[in-house]
Amino acid sequence: MDANQAVQFLESLIGQTIRVHATDTRIFVGTFKCTDAARNIILGNTFEYRPPTPSAVRDAAASADTETSAEQASPNIKVNMTSRFIGLVVVPGRHITQIELEETPQQNRVRDALRKTKGFV
Amino acid sequence: MFPNSGASAPTMRVTSQSVVPRDITDEFTEAASKLSTGQLVKDEYFTLFEAVGALEIMDSKMDSGFLGPNENHAQALEDDYDITRELAPEEVVGIMDGLLCHEMAWHMGHPLSQTLFTSLYLDRLLWPVPNTLDEARFTRGSADGRNEEPALVNLVLRAYCMALVKCCDYVHARVAAEYYYEEEDFVTQLYNRNLLSPFDLDPFLDLLDRAAAWIEEQQDGINEEVRAAIKLRIEFRRDLLLGLYQDIDVIQNRSSDNFRACLSRLSDLAQSASIGKPVPESFSWKVQRRLASTVPPRPMVNISQDDALAHLKRLCQDGIDLQEILDYRGPHNFKVAVWTMLSRKPQPSVYIRSLLQTLIVNNALVLGVVPVRDFLYDELAELVLPTSILLQANTDQTEMPSNPRFQIAQHMDGFVKRFSQPFVDTFRSACLNRCRIRRTVCHTLVDWDNLQMEAEDLDEQLRTLSDEPPLILSNGDSTYSYPFSSWAYHQKLNQFRLILQLGFELSIYSPEELPGMYWYLSHICSTHLGHLDRIRTFTVATAKRNLTALAGKKRDAVERHAVLQKSLRLLERLSTQVVAVDAFAISLHALYVLLDRHHILPTASSPQAYSSERLRYELRMKPFLPITLPELVPYDDYRREALLEGDSDGAVLERATKAITEARKAWETTLANGAFSPDQPTPTTPAIEEDWKKDVKDTMRACIGTSLAIESLKKGLAMRNTSKGSSPDGPSVDLRVDIPEVGSKARFHDWWAVPQISHNTLRSKT
Repeated sequence: MDANQAVQFLESLIGQTIRVHATDTRIFVGTFKCTDAARNIILGNTFEYRPPTPSAVRDAAASADTETSAEQASPNIKVNMTSRFIGLVVVPGRHITQIELEETPQQNRVRDALRKTKGFV
Repeated sequence: MFPNSGASAPTMRVTSQSVVPRDITDEFTEAASKLSTGQLVKDEYFTLFEAVGALEIMDSKMDSGFLGPNENHAQALEDDYDITRELAPEEVVGIMDGLLCHEMAWHMGHPLSQTLFTSLYLDRLLWPVPNTLDEARFTRGSADGRNEEPALVNLVLRAYCMALVKCCDYVHARVAAEYYYEEEDFVTQLYNRNLLSPFDLDPFLDLLDRAAAWIEEQQDGINEEVRAAIKLRIEFRRDLLLGLYQDIDVIQNRSSDNFRACLSRLSDLAQSASIGKPVPESFSWKVQRRLASTVPPRPMVNISQDDALAHLKRLCQDGIDLQEILDYRGPHNFKVAVWTMLSRKPQPSVYIRSLLQTLIVNNALVLGVVPVRDFLYDELAELVLPTSILLQANTDQTEMPSNPRFQIAQHMDGFVKRFSQPFVDTFRSACLNRCRIRRTVCHTLVDWDNLQMEAEDLDEQLRTLSDEPPLILSNGDSTYSYPFSSWAYHQKLNQFRLILQLGFELSIYSPEELPGMYWYLSHICSTHLGHLDRIRTFTVATAKRNLTALAGKKRDAVERHAVLQKSLRLLERLSTQVVAVDAFAISLHALYVLLDRHHILPTASSPQAYSSERLRYELRMKPFLPITLPELVPYDDYRREALLEGDSDGAVLERATKAITEARKAWETTLANGAFSPDQPTPTTPAIEEDWKKDVKDTMRACIGTSLAIESLKKGLAMRNTSKGSSPDGPSVDLRVDIPEVGSKARFHDWWAVPQISHNTLRSKT
């Protein structure tokens, strides 16, 4: 990937919804607005997602127990992540652990096709 | 002025089911590393200016969700406080009072995130957003969700909290519907929560009633005094809830019972506050980590119980006194009532101001009954067009397009469309906070300048249609009344005066500017007086023409005569007020000129300052620069007039003394005339009249203060003349001048900066 292709790739992401995982386990989902050489990322209309707290998990487990006590206790419970709207944010590059792009299967196929023909992405 | 549009943050993220996330970490990292330092890849519509507003994640000062390195994940988000725990009755009182303080802090303009939403009890009720009222419980989520034990918490405290939230809902709805300044007057942000707005009033009253009944039964369990305190709080909350629920229905039912009931309970509320035992653990700023918020984390706001009750007391009192403006008594009296009510110190809270805005005009009805068109016509009839055919023409009655009445009616329709909103806004703008009133009027002044020009065109067109007879002046020239532009000019001159007087109130002018600004005020007043005279001349001429018909004892002529006399009396009333302001301004101007001349006027700018008199004048005239009429006074003329160049000290003193005597007389007449024009049916308005009288009396005290200052100055100047060897250039007069600040006791009236003059030598001896 040369500098030109790098810019092209990043520009192709502008306006897309991306998920940025931070070092403190939170995930930020928003519209990709801007980035720079230090991989600082600006997201618009961002929602913050946080893994459920231990107490929430405990509560869920407890209520799952009461509900399913008649049957065999299921080993898996499902607890939603908590989310909230926080608007325009900048996630500094050094705090980013993972970046994901949200796309539909359709978009995915187009991108794959592009990758094959152009040799990037 | 337009109502605020409710810009709200998206509440939920919408994603289609088929979205698949793809890990692009490596590609992204590689691509980013290829960028050179300082190179940005960005959305072409995204500006760096916006980027500055982005919250930096993982920065403790910016990121409300940031957890410190030593914070345990669970503790950081959730407090250890157990909401379902049993509470001592004293603690319930403490929590209720704590909530009330936070509620008032919110009314005062602090965001919910720093006030009420810090309560863990409210947090549990409101999040996740309950779908039914039943869901809003402290015990939600736990196995025994419907349990009402302990009743003190799950029945009594819950009822209080629920009703409190509903109170906030009514306040929020009213304020958000009107024109206010976000973060300046009020913060409407709800952080994606909901103040139980989908639910009706009745279930809340039921809850409160059940709670009150339960507490009544606990003779054995709870100490009598504490029981009474809890009961009082529940009853108080019920009254407040009903008072806020009434909202604009006050126009129909004219009841102030609820606010009166609240007010009567306030002293007991204050007394029994000491019984309460605060539970500070039940409030936590950490709630901010879970609120949908686009701002950095901020500390909790704590106001004292005394401040909260004082604010509440004013809210109730203003809510009661609001009754007095509800009866329509013509635009002039209405304006006096609205302006007097809103000039109370401290200014009525944002809820009352928003409610007033709605009462002033809602759905094109003034006070809920008078169509805006009639309101505007009443104003014109009061001032410039008594008995005029122009206001009687109606397209519904005349359908022949060639008929002049039809054409007049058409022109008038256009006029109403164009002028009614700006006119009503001159009333509504009084509901803004004081700084914003001045700022808004500075802007609307330009609009009114344009309106005046449009009105002039209209005047000319209508003159031919209505066959207005010209007025022949003594020099033989003929002139016409130009009623609409005259009226617009009158409005504009009112606004000029308001801008200047609010300038004094808001302490905008530095001491060295006072001579010039009081001169300018008197200049505007004398222009205004001349204009009122012009209007009067035409009304008198109309009255004269009517006299012949009157002699014939025609019935409509008698009616016309009454209307014309009423209008003349109103013009007289307005003139008296402007004369009073004018005379006072002339006197203060002369006084300040002398203080300046003898270098004893305090100055705000240092001698090395960049500011100069010319620059200051330019700055102060900025709002008036685009105005065509009255014409701007060129700086050189201003300087000559404002400094009274060429007049001796004696002459200037004489001027000040004479003017202040005249001012005192004029203010006495104003006071005797009363607040309202008696020509309109007058309901009793004791509270507003009291405020109005106090305002005039304060002005009269300021007049007396000015007389004293003039005397002291006279003595000081006389002493200097008798004492020998005073150097010609040094501070020759041995006087000390203080200008009391707005709000201090010695400042008798906000609009009149009266200097206090004392003897230096006498002072140093004591």
